[in-house]
Amino acid sequence: MRLRVMGVLTLVLCAVATVDAHVGSPDVYFEGDAGPYRLFVTVRVPQVIPGVAEIRVRSGKGDVRTMQFVSMRLSGPGSNLPPTPDLAQQSKDDPQFFTGSLWLMESGALRVRIQVDGAKGKGEVSVPVPSFAQRTLTMDKPLKLILGLLMLFLAVGMVFIAGAAVREGNLKPGETPAPARKRRAKMVMAITAVVVLGILYLGRAWWGAEAGNYERGVNFFKPPAAEATLENGNRLVIRARDQDKEWSKQVKMEEVIPDHNHLMHLFLIRVPGMDRLLHLHPERIAGGAFAMDLPAISAGTYQIFADVVDKAGFPWTLVGEVNLPQIEGKPLAGDDASWSGSPLTKPAEEASAFLLPDGGRIIWQRASGPLQANTATNFTFRVETKDGKPAQDLELYMGMAGHAEFVRSDMKVFAHVHPAGSVAMAALELAQSGMLEAPPTISDGMAMGAMSPEVSFPYGFPLPGDYRIFVQIKRAGQIETGVFDARVQ
Amino acid sequence: MGHSIPVGTQLGVGVGERTAARADATSIPWTIWCMVAGIASGMVGGLWDISWHMSIGRDTFWTPAHIAIQMTGVLVGIACGYLILNATFGGESTERDTSVEIWGFRGPLGAFIAVWGCVAMLTSAPFDNWWHNAYGLDVKIVSPPHTLLSLGSFAIKVGALALIAGLMNRGSEALRGRLMWLFAYVGATAVAQMGLILTQATWPVYLHSASCYLAVAIAIPPVLVGTAWGAPSKWACTRVAGIYTAILLGAEWILPLFPAEPKLGPVYQHVTHFIPLRFPLLFIVPAVVLDLLWNQRGEWKRWRLAAVTGAAFVVSFVVVQWPFASFLMSPAARNRIFGMAYFGYFDPAGYLYDPYAFVASEKTRVTFWLTMACAVLAAMVTSRLGLAWGDWMRRMRR
Repeated sequence: MRLRVMGVLTLVLCAVATVDAHVGSPDVYFEGDAGPYRLFVTVRVPQVIPGVAEIRVRSGKGDVRTMQFVSMRLSGPGSNLPPTPDLAQQSKDDPQFFTGSLWLMESGALRVRIQVDGAKGKGEVSVPVPSFAQRTLTMDKPLKLILGLLMLFLAVGMVFIAGAAVREGNLKPGETPAPARKRRAKMVMAITAVVVLGILYLGRAWWGAEAGNYERGVNFFKPPAAEATLENGNRLVIRARDQDKEWSKQVKMEEVIPDHNHLMHLFLIRVPGMDRLLHLHPERIAGGAFAMDLPAISAGTYQIFADVVDKAGFPWTLVGEVNLPQIEGKPLAGDDASWSGSPLTKPAEEASAFLLPDGGRIIWQRASGPLQANTATNFTFRVETKDGKPAQDLELYMGMAGHAEFVRSDMKVFAHVHPAGSVAMAALELAQSGMLEAPPTISDGMAMGAMSPEVSFPYGFPLPGDYRIFVQIKRAGQIETGVFDARVQ
Repeated sequence: MGHSIPVGTQLGVGVGERTAARADATSIPWTIWCMVAGIASGMVGGLWDISWHMSIGRDTFWTPAHIAIQMTGVLVGIACGYLILNATFGGESTERDTSVEIWGFRGPLGAFIAVWGCVAMLTSAPFDNWWHNAYGLDVKIVSPPHTLLSLGSFAIKVGALALIAGLMNRGSEALRGRLMWLFAYVGATAVAQMGLILTQATWPVYLHSASCYLAVAIAIPPVLVGTAWGAPSKWACTRVAGIYTAILLGAEWILPLFPAEPKLGPVYQHVTHFIPLRFPLLFIVPAVVLDLLWNQRGEWKRWRLAAVTGAAFVVSFVVVQWPFASFLMSPAARNRIFGMAYFGYFDPAGYLYDPYAFVASEKTRVTFWLTMACAVLAAMVTSRLGLAWGDWMRRMRR
């Protein structure tokens, strides 16, 4: 923590935590309609770019005959001309399940277009996919040994070939090399050895430079730091600080686009127990910073996750940490919400029901058995009144039936998920533009009329561990937060 | 006036020697045909593969283009393996007498060089595969594993040239005349390979940049001058450059006749057929100039000759390529002949850059002329290397 004076009292409370890109949850989960067909889509993004993404799609009913995948840019040049699509493979055991693989050739905001043909005709949907390299691979020992031996053979072979060329290359047939020629050959071999070593050195340096370039590409997509400053006792100002020199040149906070009604979705989670959550929406101020007057807040260290979507449709999560004093603050307003309760225990104590302040409950309709990492799941929650009946007073919360945040205990995983999945809603809107048919319904909860008491979130835990799931819904004008803990194997 | 060493007479090669070593041979050995076929296969495969990546994108180990490239290693391996095993374990003393010894094995020097090239190509495969896994699929021509592959492929050509040169230097006049065309052909494929490596530096938008000519001056003279100077012909350089031009023109005019469409995205250009590389660089003009120069002043000392050769190469190349580049940028070149309307599916031409506007790599006039001066100096040095290589091949007998 460090202090800085700005005006009356300014507290800079930033200790940036570096976590994995997109906060450890790179795979894309999506649920939506391709025309008349309901699809649940999982896109496993490759670790390196260009690389092959795995795509798995489950159709809602068994009326899909064929499915095709194609990758395109989300917006701008390259977003209109599709390559030849790949035909998905239909499972013989489970006809509703389709799989395929797709090359992602670029980093950045891409989309996977899924075209469906079946009993109800044709349908199409585009799923936004943030494509980015996540790591570099080290060479394993057997391969290192094989390549090392081959390189040694080539290096030594070149030296001996040079020696043979001088010693015998232009001798008359049958003539034996004279001692002087042999001496000259040895000298040439020594010079060649030095040249070969020089070539190997330069080659290694080039390799290092290429690896460095790639590493910069990986760093570029790591979460930028959220630099938080508290001004005037309760005004929180957040600035993005680049992890890479190029980042701030290419991603400008002045140009981020609205994502379900707000430019930034800010989550403050008190650590280490995650016993406080604030879901806030700061306004953009001059210089690309975001600021807001905080509501009442307990003192402590808070983890910052700030979601924005850049103009190309690529979602970024700014990550940081801030120490806050006790703040009386202003009352919550608009879409802002907060929750406080008991901390996450280790190991997490799982419960499938959460009691709301009015006596109602949110029930997690989870399947029996332990939760598994890397398994696509529809996390379904049913809202009940205090007398156990399905709640009839649910409303849209920022245009959707609900919001859920999946957070691992060590803050290495954070995902802000909607009924449409882990995709950013702003990117989803961009992805559907240019489609032949009307954009699909992305949430049952968006339909007009009475809303279902159930809300579901397609997602998969990327890593084992203890997680806390915050489920946020709106009932009778009041934003409610339900909290569920989960142990993931 | 011929070269310093009269055309048709190789350095230090006497009639009696040729007689001693199968000088009466009048037919080209099958091993030479096998190597040349392998090199041709690699050339076709290489151009096809680049076009494949520009038009279709996705490939596997077993695409026809890859198989054509891999056939280089197979055919060259068979030919050179036979030559080495025959000279090492065979009963014929002639083969042993015209061989060199490395690690207890005997064989023609060219065969050993070509085998080295095959091993380099073989090594590049797992290296390239790992590279893709570690850093993603590299869609560029010049990367460390691709360079190792290219080095191996180039070594095969150097080996073939050495093998043919040795045979020419020992063979009859009639045989030498026929081998000359194979020698020029292999030299042309070596020039084409260097040209492919320079693809990015010599893309049409850079043809009014001095750095483009500097890159050409570094890479082309060692190969063009070397293979031409090593050949016993008055018009060797013209032959080499002519065959290079014919190979690239053939690729440019034939490949688009076949349908293709991208299988990878994002797609920036609508592609319906194979997309070739660009119109060949006009090396034919400096080649004619060099032949004329060498036929007049071939007896000069090597450094003096190299200095004039380098300067003549750069000046004559710039004089024709510069205005021709202006023509290539004009609408008149956007046709099947000159190919300036062809763009790979991944090329954001027209979106992110103007493909018909020159890019100035040098920001000031001073930088431009300094770079041009460097190009002339570089060409002098690399021409000297080429002359040395040519002389070496003229003396090659094993």
